[in-house]
Parts: sequence; C-alpha cells; structure tokens
Amino acid sequence: MSAREETLRITASMTVVCALGAAVLGGVYVGTERYARAAQSRGERNAIVELLGLDSTARVTEVRQFLAEDRGEVVYEARPFGAEGAPARRLVFALDGRLVAQEGAGGAVLPAGAARPLGRLFLASRDGLPLGFVVEGTARGYKNRIRFLVGIGRDFSIAGVRVVEHEEDPGLGAEVATRVFGGQFIGRDAANIAALAVTRDPMPEDWRSALAQLTRVPAESWRARQAGLIARERARPIYAVTGATISSRALTEGLKSTVDHFRRRWALLEPWLGAGS
Amino acid sequence: MPRSSQRALIGAGIALLFFLLLFPATRVHAAAPGQAIRAARVQREGLVRLRFAQPLERADAANFRFTEVAAPDVPIPVREVRVEAGNVVTLVVGQPLDPEGSYRIELAEPPLARAVRPPRWALLFSAVLSAALINNFVFTRYLGLCIFFGVTKKRDTALGMGATFTFVMITTGMFSWMMYQFVMKPLQLKFLQILVFIGVVAFLVQLLDTVLKKTHRALHEKFGIYLVLITTNCIILAVPLLNAAADAGPLESLALAMGSGLGFALALFLMSCARERMELARVPASFEGLPIAFALAGLFALAFMGFSGLSFFR
Amino acid sequence: MSAALQDPGPPPARQLILNGIFTENPVFRLALSLCPAVAVTTTVMNGIILGVAVLLVQVLSSATVAIARSFIHPRVRIPVYTIIIAVWVSAIDMSLAAFVPTLYAQVGLYVKLIVAFAIIISRLEVFASRYPLVPSLWDALGMGLGFLFALVVIGAMRELLGNGSLFGVALAPGKPLLFFALPAGGFFSIALLMALFNWMERRAAEAAGARARAAGGSHA
Repeated sequence: MSAREETLRITASMTVVCALGAAVLGGVYVGTERYARAAQSRGERNAIVELLGLDSTARVTEVRQFLAEDRGEVVYEARPFGAEGAPARRLVFALDGRLVAQEGAGGAVLPAGAARPLGRLFLASRDGLPLGFVVEGTARGYKNRIRFLVGIGRDFSIAGVRVVEHEEDPGLGAEVATRVFGGQFIGRDAANIAALAVTRDPMPEDWRSALAQLTRVPAESWRARQAGLIARERARPIYAVTGATISSRALTEGLKSTVDHFRRRWALLEPWLGAGS
Repeated sequence: MPRSSQRALIGAGIALLFFLLLFPATRVHAAAPGQAIRAARVQREGLVRLRFAQPLERADAANFRFTEVAAPDVPIPVREVRVEAGNVVTLVVGQPLDPEGSYRIELAEPPLARAVRPPRWALLFSAVLSAALINNFVFTRYLGLCIFFGVTKKRDTALGMGATFTFVMITTGMFSWMMYQFVMKPLQLKFLQILVFIGVVAFLVQLLDTVLKKTHRALHEKFGIYLVLITTNCIILAVPLLNAAADAGPLESLALAMGSGLGFALALFLMSCARERMELARVPASFEGLPIAFALAGLFALAFMGFSGLSFFR
Repeated sequence: MSAALQDPGPPPARQLILNGIFTENPVFRLALSLCPAVAVTTTVMNGIILGVAVLLVQVLSSATVAIARSFIHPRVRIPVYTIIIAVWVSAIDMSLAAFVPTLYAQVGLYVKLIVAFAIIISRLEVFASRYPLVPSLWDALGMGLGFLFALVVIGAMRELLGNGSLFGVALAPGKPLLFFALPAGGFFSIALLMALFNWMERRAAEAAGARARAAGGSHA
C-alpha cells in the first residue's frame, strides 16, 4: 500500500468516525431534549407551588421581561406557565413607565436578538384574583453568582426563598441555601425588608429549632404554628451563617433589591396583568 | 536578524489586540459641547461621584436619573445632591452600591448620559485575579491534579509546564470561544461541545508543536515534551466548558483563560518548591510519595481559602 | 506451546473485577483521574452519580473499541479512542441532565470532564483493543466499579465527618469536623485513605514475608 493510499484511508476512516459520532450525539440530543425541558419546567413548577403554598386550582402565568435597548423600551411577555411557544400577551413600556403598546394573545414572537432578556416572574392567580408572585433574582456571592427564587405574597411580604444555583463553599456559604437561613425572611413585609440588616450575633436556639422544622412542615402551617416566635424575630435583623457573613449579606441584599424592583414593576403591570393573563 | 524582526512583529500584533480590546473603555462617552461628565464612579456606601467639565447649573435630585444596567426601568432614587469644589457632584442614593457593578447616569439638563462602571482593564484584572487565586483550578476546583502531582517534583519542570499551560490555555480558550459563539451557537450545535472542544485543543496543540519545531528549535526542545502531555487534559478542557456554560463575552473568556493559566502555574511553582524541601523531611513510611503530597496540597488549599472574598474593588 | 506463551488468553472475569476494585484501584493505587475524586465527593450521592457515569462511559467505550478494534487504523487509534469516549460522555451527560436534573446540577462540569480521564483511555489502549468483547466488558466493569468504590468511600468519609450525615440523613448533631467538607479536607481525606491502603499493603507484605521465613526456617 502506498503512503498516499494510506493517508487517504486514514482520512476517510476519521471522517466516517466523526460523522458517526455526530450522528449518535444528534440522536441522543433529539431523544433527551424533550425530557430535559420537561424536567426543568417541572422543577420550577414545584418550587412555585411550594413557595406560595398553591393547590391544583391555581393558575400560573409566566412573565418574561426584555429590554429593547435601541428603542429604550421594556417588553413584558405573559403566557400560561409551561406553554412554550403559545401565543403571548405583550406589554411594551417606555423606560419612564409609560405604556407604549399592548397586544393581546396572538402577537408575533419577539424577534431574537432585538431584545436582551432581563428576567422572569411568575404570577399565580385563582378566579382572576392574584394569589402571589415568584420572582427570579441574582446576587453576587462569595465566589460566584447566587441565583434564587423568591415567593412574594399579595401584600409584598416574602412567602419563601429558594436558592436555585450557587458555588459557595460547602459547609460555610452553601448554608445560605438551607431552609434555616431562608426561613428567616418568611413573613417580612416590604418596609421591613427595605430596612433589613444582617447581624453576626448567634441565632437564638428556640428560633433555630423552629426554623429547622421548615424542612418537614409546609410554610403555611409553620407560620401559623410559630406565629409568636416569628413576630418576635420580625423586629430583629437576619442572623448570618457562622463563618459566611459575606454570603449571608449578599443574599439579603439581592433579596432586598429583587423585592423592591418587583414592587415598582408590579405597580406598572397590575392594571394589565392583575387578573392573570 | 529576521528572527528578531519576526518576534517584534508578533509582539506588536499582541499589543494591538490588547489595545483594540481596551479601546472602548478609554473613549469619552457623552460629549455635549462644553459640558460633559469627565469621570463617574460609585462607592459602596451609596454614593455616586461625578466630575463635570464645567460647573453644573441644575443640581437638584430631579435632574438625575440613576439606574442599574440590569434594571433600566426602575431608577435608583437620588436622595440628595451635594455640589463640591472642582466641579464634583456627589449623589446620595438610598441603598448600597456595588463598585464592580454596571450603572448608568442620565441628566435631563443639559442632556448627558454616561455608563458608570469600573474601567475595562480593572474588570479584566479583577477577573484574572479571581480565576487565579479565588477560584484557583487546582486548590478550589481540583482540576489538573494528575499533572499537578506528576510534574511538581522539580522546580524547573514545574515552571516550564506552567508557562506552556498558560500559553496553550489562552490560545485554545480564545479559539474555542470563537467556535462556540460564531459556529455552535448560531447552528444550535451546543450538544457537540465536548467533541468540538477536544478537536480544537488537539488541533491547536499539534499546530503549535509543528510551528515551534520549524521556527524556534530551542524553544521546542525545552517545551515540546510538555506539549505532548497537554492534549485532552482536563484543565485545558475546563476553560472552554466553563466559558460555554457561562456564555461569557470575549473579555471574560480571555480573563478566565489567562487567570486559570497563571493560577495553575503558580500552584505548580509553589508545590514544587515545597516538594523539593520535602525530600529532606522524614515522612512516615505509609505516607511516602503521593499521600504526603496530597496532605501538602491540602495545606495549600487551606491557605488559598484565605483569598476568597478578596476583591480588587473593596 | 510457544503460541500459548504469546497469547495466554484473557484473565478470568472474577480476577478482572477484583483487579479493578483492589489491586489496581484507579484512585488509590494507580492515582489516576483524581480530579473528580476530590471535587465532587462532599457527599456520598455526588460520588455515586459521578462513579456511575464513569462506569457507564468505561463499559460503553470498551465495548465499542472491542467490537470495532479490527477496523481502527493503528496509526490514528488514539484520536479515534478520544472521539469514542467524547461521544459516550456527551450522551451520558445529556441523559443525566434530562433524567436526574437535581443531582446532575451539582456534578455537571465534572461529568463533562470525564472525557479527559486518563484511566478510561488507558484501559482502551491496554485491554479493550487487544481482547474480544466479553473479557473487555469484565475489565471495564472492574475498573468502573473500582472508581465508584473509591468515590463512595471518600464521599462517605467526608459527608460523615464534615456534615454528620450519610445520604443526606443526619446521624450526628451539628457538624463534627467541618474541615472535611471544605476543599482542603478533600485533599486530606485522600491522603489518609491512600496512606491506609499503603499501610494495609505493607502489613500484608510483611505478614507474607514472615510466613515465608517461618516456612523456610522449618525446612532448614
């Protein structure tokens, strides 16, 4: 066999191997993508239901926020949760809060690249009355970004906090993702949150054991059962995780600005989306 | 002579590339005739300091609109405006600000606008620092351990390896970033990323080997052996994978590649120094060799934990 | 006779499996593919997920190579092995992301990096490219189980000492030795376990030596 012939054979066989590999991967991708998407939306749905204590009669609407930078407009797209590709209801606001345009369901899909996604929020409603909201937020943690969901009640008090993604140290900063830390925010109203501070003082033992129950008891009944303790702790700051003051402070600040931003955005959106989409 | 001119040319090319990357940061943003915002920066405790070209006529809070780039529709309320000497105006806002964050200040009268964010070189430096020290690949992400324990017996080898790795990480990191952003993302081929990144690394390492052999024989004799070890090493592959996962921009990708490479080189150097001394120590028989090297790496990891929370801006 | 010497045939299945788990354990004995052994083993469950992923990749790649070994051109065998591994790693990565998303979220990057594991490609080169399908499968299974075993042991040690729990179930109040859950603790755990393996081996060797001496003495 000549050297040229051999080179040809090698090239041909490598091409075949690469093509086969790509074909196998394409097949696996097509096969698994549906499940990956379903799993993601199931996870989000569970988080929303848990954070707001919803039952099966509640409707959840997903609202995506985009910024069209060149036109100076903010676009909101609302569609029933999990109905990817369903026609969306769209509201367009100018940066100063003026409504620019409104389209009912059936509007064309936003052209890709024309707008930068700013975030998502979920709105739960029953019989046209809002039950609560879940808003996505981020904070700059000790090592990297902390991504979280915060449940917000009709009165803008916090219904629950769920850390979705973080890279904090296990055993230290990672503790901010636990129910014991997140539970401290439950029930605090807008004014309380705006003035919220973080302390390094140790957490009282009775409060810690009460918070530990959150892993077993749904937030609703926990609030009823621990009403006394919650009222006492309401006047106090958030207790930082021991050895992770920066992470604790980061999440607290992130929650503060997320709730504040949401409150001001909802003031714009309420007349249009208040009754669910 | 042609050799040196060749090198000068390469150096000039790299300098030009850096200049192009940094250029947008040095540009003056808004330029109304006469009046302009010369400098702007935020302070942690909720202050925005602006320096104007001329004295400002309207210095009431309603004249300013201060927003976060991530939330342009909800302005941060300005509580108070303090006019100071030297055309400096300080805005007091009601919340703590992030000196690393991106903000925007707009004035109604005269109509001026300017991005308020740290200069690009500072962000790049901070990202390099973070990748090299806070998220050091070896000590906090545990990548490249095989190489790490393999080549740190002697200081010279460690240094050569560190230099080669840094160089290869930057080249492959940037090339993979281009592949990802301009080919795989538009064509929806993200699921091929592992295959493509491996191909890119293998191709570039092979290319580097050939070019080095033909042009710089002395360099090749020194670093060629390390090049062979590099193909499909996890630390090289981690850079494009992390960049793809974060959907990073060009500057961030460059910073991650550079910082990770420098961090790895630093880890190799420190470890080799310690292990050279270790040869003189009496180690329990069961701990000889790798176990004691692991314990040593553990001590380094403990020391590197002290870097987390380190920030250029704080 | 000479043919038998040249090709002794593949070792029996039992020996192949035990080989992978103990005498040639990829983590504790061969010290290969250590990165994930430290990185993901803060809990047992993470160790199991990554261990299973490695086991699957090893078995599938070995099987592919063992079947296709006569078609692979010897001069490009290493690139071909790399592609085969990369394909299986991507496939398993996507499947884990789709079917166990919460567990996958914690080990994502390290699953992708299985592609750079020296242990897998070395088994392909040393074993699967020379022997037929069945013994290659046993060999791959042994190595994969050895890796899984190592990750589970390290994970159990770190979760128990660092977090006072196993599989997320609290066994001790608070955190007995938080240090072991931290990055530095990962290095120390491996140092201790490696030393333990060395110590056991030395004990065994000494015992064997003593027995041999005793046997030799009685003959004299």
